[in-house]
Amino acid sequence: MAHIKVVRRSMRPEEWTDLRFGWLKRYIYSEKFEIENIKVRDARQVAEMEYEYYPEGWRPLKKGDMYFTPDGTAFFEADVIIPEKLRNKELWFSLKTAAEIIVKVNGKYVGGVDPNRDRILLTPYIGDETVLHFEMEGYNRSKPDDERNPESLSVRGCRQIFEGAYLSVINHTVLDLVYDIELLLDIAKSDLFNEDYRAFLNRELNNALNLIDFDDVKNEDVAAAKKYVDEVIFANDDYKGSGDVALIAHSHLDIAYYWRRIHSVQKNLRTILIQLRLMDRYPEFKYTHTQAFTYELLEKYYPDVFEELKEKIAKGQFEPVGAMYVEPDCNIPSAESLIRQCMYGQHYFREKFGKTVDNCWLPDVFGNSWILPQILKKSGVDYFVSNKMSTWNDTNRFPHNNFIWKGIDGSEVYACVPPTHFITWNMPGQIQENWEAYQDKNTGGQTMSMFGYGDGGSGCTEEMLEVMKRFDKLSIMPKTEHMGGSEFLKKNLKDNKNLAKWDGELYLEMHRGTFTTKSKMKRYNRQLEFKLREAEMVSTLRHLKGARYPYDELRECYKKLLVNQFHDILPGSHITPVYRDAMADYEDIDRRLDKIIGTGEKYFNSLNFTRNHLTFIEDENGKSIRYGKQGNWVIPNLPPLSSGEIRWRTFAGDWCEIADTVTTPFYKIKFNYDGSIESLYDRELDREWVGGEFNKLKLYKDNPGVYDAWDILPNYKDREVDVKIISPLKTVEKNSEVASFEVVLGTEKSTWKRIIRVFRQSRGIEVENVVDWNEKHVLAKAQFECNVLTRKAVCDTSAGFIERDTHRNTSWQQARFEVCHHKWVDMAETDGGVALINDSKYGVGLLENSMSLSLLRATIRPDVTSDLGHHEFSYMIYPHGGDFVKAEINNIAYEYNIPLGKADLTCENSFGELYMQAMKMSENGKMIVIRLSEQNGKRGAIKLGGKVKLLNMLEDVIGETDTVEYKPFEIITIGIET
Amino acid sequence: MEEYINTVIKPKLQGDGGEIDFVSFENGVLTVLLQGECSKCLIVERCLDWIKGEVKRDLGIECKIRANKKKPFFWDK
Repeated sequence: MAHIKVVRRSMRPEEWTDLRFGWLKRYIYSEKFEIENIKVRDARQVAEMEYEYYPEGWRPLKKGDMYFTPDGTAFFEADVIIPEKLRNKELWFSLKTAAEIIVKVNGKYVGGVDPNRDRILLTPYIGDETVLHFEMEGYNRSKPDDERNPESLSVRGCRQIFEGAYLSVINHTVLDLVYDIELLLDIAKSDLFNEDYRAFLNRELNNALNLIDFDDVKNEDVAAAKKYVDEVIFANDDYKGSGDVALIAHSHLDIAYYWRRIHSVQKNLRTILIQLRLMDRYPEFKYTHTQAFTYELLEKYYPDVFEELKEKIAKGQFEPVGAMYVEPDCNIPSAESLIRQCMYGQHYFREKFGKTVDNCWLPDVFGNSWILPQILKKSGVDYFVSNKMSTWNDTNRFPHNNFIWKGIDGSEVYACVPPTHFITWNMPGQIQENWEAYQDKNTGGQTMSMFGYGDGGSGCTEEMLEVMKRFDKLSIMPKTEHMGGSEFLKKNLKDNKNLAKWDGELYLEMHRGTFTTKSKMKRYNRQLEFKLREAEMVSTLRHLKGARYPYDELRECYKKLLVNQFHDILPGSHITPVYRDAMADYEDIDRRLDKIIGTGEKYFNSLNFTRNHLTFIEDENGKSIRYGKQGNWVIPNLPPLSSGEIRWRTFAGDWCEIADTVTTPFYKIKFNYDGSIESLYDRELDREWVGGEFNKLKLYKDNPGVYDAWDILPNYKDREVDVKIISPLKTVEKNSEVASFEVVLGTEKSTWKRIIRVFRQSRGIEVENVVDWNEKHVLAKAQFECNVLTRKAVCDTSAGFIERDTHRNTSWQQARFEVCHHKWVDMAETDGGVALINDSKYGVGLLENSMSLSLLRATIRPDVTSDLGHHEFSYMIYPHGGDFVKAEINNIAYEYNIPLGKADLTCENSFGELYMQAMKMSENGKMIVIRLSEQNGKRGAIKLGGKVKLLNMLEDVIGETDTVEYKPFEIITIGIET
Repeated sequence: MEEYINTVIKPKLQGDGGEIDFVSFENGVLTVLLQGECSKCLIVERCLDWIKGEVKRDLGIECKIRANKKKPFFWDK
């Protein structure tokens, strides 16, 4: 017998309620006066506050006209005489738009409209004026911030139809009822709430709306419906909810993503302005805003609004949160970069607002390095907030929401990983979902629920605040409390003895591709981090000899690098123009730092240990070529922090025999034609290092889906792409220090040249890669299956090492099939192993005895041109005896990453076994600041010749000592008064 | 025409996460390939009309535009 599915075709009672609710909203405005003399001028923003205007100039803009252009900014003006009948009434400006429009009336910024709000209250800001001069600036965004919001999705596109702008008067009786029903319908439609209560709501909302005749809507009927809602629905407390949720207002502002950084100037203004205007109307409203950089922008370009902001901060309504300069990626930047994110952020907040921010606020960041707790703690930060691990992990449910995070050195900060997304619109269903997902109900106090639109800013709406005022009337809802960010953290986490502890990195089980996407940015970032170190160090040492220290120049360069570490810039998840901006910034920083560093007669070893590993020194008369430049491979043997001459002698003997097997003082190597290594026999250690495919270039189809730039999926190995040998391995160089072999590989679209170098005086085997990359959805890796039995690999974090499991026993290891490392990764037995040292790579897969170094990706969203073109990068295979500490892998990796330059400088104290991460003049110019980092997991003490100041990472003096005592992975900052 | 599309129109569409590639201009018909956000834009016709207007203003050429959309696999449902 055929089964007939019965489909209800008649209108359900709930649909009848929805329909009438839609009609009710039409009566929100009791009066509307169309502003008909608007003129518009199209432009395109080309720099901060700089525009190219379309030649048409000003034109009239009428309802139904097309407005906005791709990547377009539009300027509007209008002069309006307030009609007699609207005077002395509460007056609003209303404009429904997909764009982000900042509105100025009679010279004062009155607010903003965007897809999340379509009106601005005018009355308090226009005084008794009857003539209004409107000046508006709008930036259209074709992609809505949040594709979960159907209202903003419906208005996407570069060209918009102007729907008219009005002076309006609101019927508050209607609007009050609209907010009531909006709130109640959200509960009625959410299956997270009690079924019987939802049935009650559906029944009673119908009854309330029955009091209104929609053929002739009268105010008294609306008031009667509102009274019915109050007396029947809100008065009912038969249905009890549970929970305790703190509601924290916040707007996520990506300073670049689907827009360029230059647009964040206006996005930020609009966002802040909207919150300030809400605070004018709702004095109890508190809002949190991150990133010192965005405050700087406001101060620079909109000083009047900044002054207003300062008042609201002083009153405690507007709260700067997040101690950092921007919300950076927290995988790829080095420890020193993260320290500077905190230092420049905190210095700004102190200087402008007189406060040190006690929290790090990174809702959207793609995982967090284990080195962070120490950096935060020493930068005046006790609390860490990030939503990402709870809401985005693809394999395991992160087990805590309110907890203690223990860092690599043992430092602890309180951490909050709110159970739900950082963008919500504060509706009961979202709050209930937050409570239900909260895992620390019995130990963590309240749970944090953030509300406010974001990605491109925007923030809270009147609606969010109006529904929040009604939550106490609903017994079915969790108890809610609106509060500030720091207030929440102190109230619920501080001194809470019941909190669980998480000891390890906060790995995000998603977005694993961001370690690799946009390879050139990662390379530049690495190079410039070290170049900044060099520039600060030589400037400090020259300053001690009387030269001017370039404070402003160095600060500007650092800040520019920090901005480009933003979590949608450095990770590569952005559109083409953002990439171009970043590369232009990198080139600018590079040029400026070269100028600061200058040159000298002698070579300068900026490392605080003897530079005694093979280094390539550029020399136009040199015998070798690396990255297309001539030079020589030499062992500098330069003592720590000193300059000297380097002499090299030509070795006369034949140190390398090239036949079927290549024999060097260290190895017998059998290469395959594609440059992979079939056998790497260690003559010194008498062992074979190869346990399978080794130095094998592997290309995989890489189709992670809509999060293309962000993700690598665990199935990436399913389909390999064939790599052809275009020109088999051949010897291209053999001199007294190095023998080089070259192979050209390729696909139909790309060529991949590998130059493999073996050395007379180094165990390292370098692989230089020169790639013309024209792939789509392909992941390139270099595979190393080692003849090593181990269950752990060791990865550099830039300030200490982290051990990572190489098995897949549980879902936690399975999820970490691709992890982030810095300069090196090592896989070893107790008496030896293989290290891979890189000059710009961060992603690596570790499985049993294999390491697969991620080299390039080819993603098409958000940037269809991502990673296309020419690439150059290198890595070094470094087999060694003993463990990675004994083998000095970290030292070698520093030497590999820091080119040896010229400067005639020396420094007396080298600080023993600690790494000198930075040497600079303090920001106040009174001290030399030296940052020392323990990176080998050791404890000890360094006796100094005299007393020095002990500093935190904000350069505050916290003590005095003549001995630097250190423990594993500790970062110590000292100050020497000048 | 090709240079105009590549140097004037393309950067603007890229600024919105879109992508346009010149394919041909023959007999008054400009053929382009749309990728990125443009490939799934529901109101792209408005944008194509705008491009026509820009071409006419800047190059003095009246043209028709034929646009091929190339959606990435994850939007090709």
